Amino acid sequence: MVPLGRVSATAAAVVAANLQALLGLNTLVVRPWPEPSPCLVPTRGQYDASLILRELAPEGESGALRLGLINHDLCLSFLTFVFGEAQLGGRAAVVSLHRLQDLDDGSRAPQALFLERLAKVGLHETAHVLGLPHCRAPGCLMRFSGGLAELDRLGLEFCPACQGRLAVGRARIRRGDVRAPFGSGPGLG
Amino acid sequence: MNARLRVLLVDDELAMRESLAAWLRQDGHQVTKAAGGLEALAELERQEFDLALVDIKMPGMDGLELLRRVKDAHPDTLVVIITAYGSIESAVEAMKAGASDYLLKPFDPEHLMLLLEKMARQRDLLRENSALRQRLNEGECIGFAGLVGQSPAMRAVFGQIEDAAPALAPVLITGETGTGKEMVARAIHNQGPRAFAPFVTINCGAVTETLLESELFGHERGAFTGAVKARRGRLEMADGGTLFLDEVGEISQKMQVALLRVLEEKRFQRVGGNQYLASDFRLISATNRDLPALIQQGRFRQDFFYRINVLAIAIPPLRERVEDIIPLAEHFLAYFAAQTGKANLVLDSRAQRALRAYPWPGNVRELRNVIERAVIVAQGSSVGLDKLTFLSPLPEADSSAMTLAEVELAHIRRVLKSQGGSVSATAGVLGIDRSTLSRKLKKAGLEPS
Ligand SMILES: [Zn+2]
Ligand SMILES: [Zn+2]
Repeated sequence: MVPLGRVSATAAAVVAANLQALLGLNTLVVRPWPEPSPCLVPTRGQYDASLILRELAPEGESGALRLGLINHDLCLSFLTFVFGEAQLGGRAAVVSLHRLQDLDDGSRAPQALFLERLAKVGLHETAHVLGLPHCRAPGCLMRFSGGLAELDRLGLEFCPACQGRLAVGRARIRRGDVRAPFGSGPGLG
Repeated sequence: MNARLRVLLVDDELAMRESLAAWLRQDGHQVTKAAGGLEALAELERQEFDLALVDIKMPGMDGLELLRRVKDAHPDTLVVIITAYGSIESAVEAMKAGASDYLLKPFDPEHLMLLLEKMARQRDLLRENSALRQRLNEGECIGFAGLVGQSPAMRAVFGQIEDAAPALAPVLITGETGTGKEMVARAIHNQGPRAFAPFVTINCGAVTETLLESELFGHERGAFTGAVKARRGRLEMADGGTLFLDEVGEISQKMQVALLRVLEEKRFQRVGGNQYLASDFRLISATNRDLPALIQQGRFRQDFFYRINVLAIAIPPLRERVEDIIPLAEHFLAYFAAQTGKANLVLDSRAQRALRAYPWPGNVRELRNVIERAVIVAQGSSVGLDKLTFLSPLPEADSSAMTLAEVELAHIRRVLKSQGGSVSATAGVLGIDRSTLSRKLKKAGLEPS
């Protein structure tokens, strides 16, 4: 797991613990990388998530899965914002803490709620990396959330169908299609 | 509802194409990418798509032109236009040309999601409708029903039918999908001297070239793998009667040459045969294509065109003869009501207004489907607007009838909300400067907080 710029250590630890517990991925939080300033879109004051993914997992390079954490707001060229973004069945994902700290009325969310949301988005994006597409089952973590209200309605669990897909995804990592230089064995660097 | 869509994504910008395709795959859809209009059309020939997402601004064939061609050749493929903020006029124009919806870049994630769900529902509805259509085509035929009309344009068509019927010259019928070209052909046949001889049809767009050849000419036993028995072709079957070539614009040049020869020599051979057979048939062809344009592009033979286009009948689209809509609707209403044992159904005034306002991209056939559905779900004796299910948005209920200013304001609101109410962030996303945006907000009575 890669903090991009300054990111709260608690936040990183919570995401790591959840990846370990729910996905069974050994997760190591590495030393922070510098802020990905080339990925900033100046006119929008947001960072382009697809460019960050390319920084996290340059083409032709292989190695451990990488989940980036960033404080700034993320967007895509065609979307006004995203909570996170991932390479489906690839190697990298990124999650923004920016919007997760807010309540709908603009005030700050309690820490517990913020961390729960962060864990959800971290799990959701990482599951994309493991090859899972969106799921329509109510409450499943792989449901798409277009806003905080929807995110808050999700449980901290995958539906049975998605759990089956996760098993397949983990097997792919164990086979060594993706090697892990960080830590020992398969994991998320 | 199956939420998974087969999407054709058409955008000349590589980065946009790649990232949007990746996002759609993540959402569980099957995505094919095309960098331009011609590539997109080639893909559409190769496989079927539920939805085409088309960037409006592309070099060469632009999104609007592609939209028209998709709607023409693949009316069951839904088209959504992607356009940048600031070119909303073209989005509205696209809606008029048959686009199901449009997206203003950059889109709100929630909005994109709702749109995809809406498209999945429309796709399901289209499938249901084509199943209905199939049943109607196979079973009961409405005979002259499709030829109800009191508009000057339709009266002219009736006159042409009367003139064409007794003649033996080939007729070419042109008109959009669903205008009733086959019914006109049958009317010509039924009113002519060959009314008691067979009316044989073949849809040239629905079969491959090889199959078309053996369908038309027939084949001898062993002519090709699978030809276990000799078979008569449609040319033979139509002897003494009428041969109706539907979608004649889809015939390959090679087949055009072969048919031209038959028309000139009045004789032909079965595939794999060496004996000449004679057949005396009257030829009626139909197409929704612009054949002179295809000739210009070198895709249709001029000599063949002159042969089949001796008499020409053009059927106007339903939206150009609004006065025919209600009589037709009432005709179908009575027909389907009788079929289902529901007596005396009438359309209420709001339903009538909607029927008249709707652009009917699928023409009479679509109207027939809408009315059949309405009859099935109708309760009581009056059919209201809520019983009518349109495949495209109704002009008055949707953004195609919104003014530009309204569309613009709705988009600004959406982006403003996604940017947490920040005017400068919103201006950045929209690509306009802050003062312009503030002015627009003030004008709309939306004071930035
Ligand atoms: Zn997702
Ligand atoms: Zn699921």
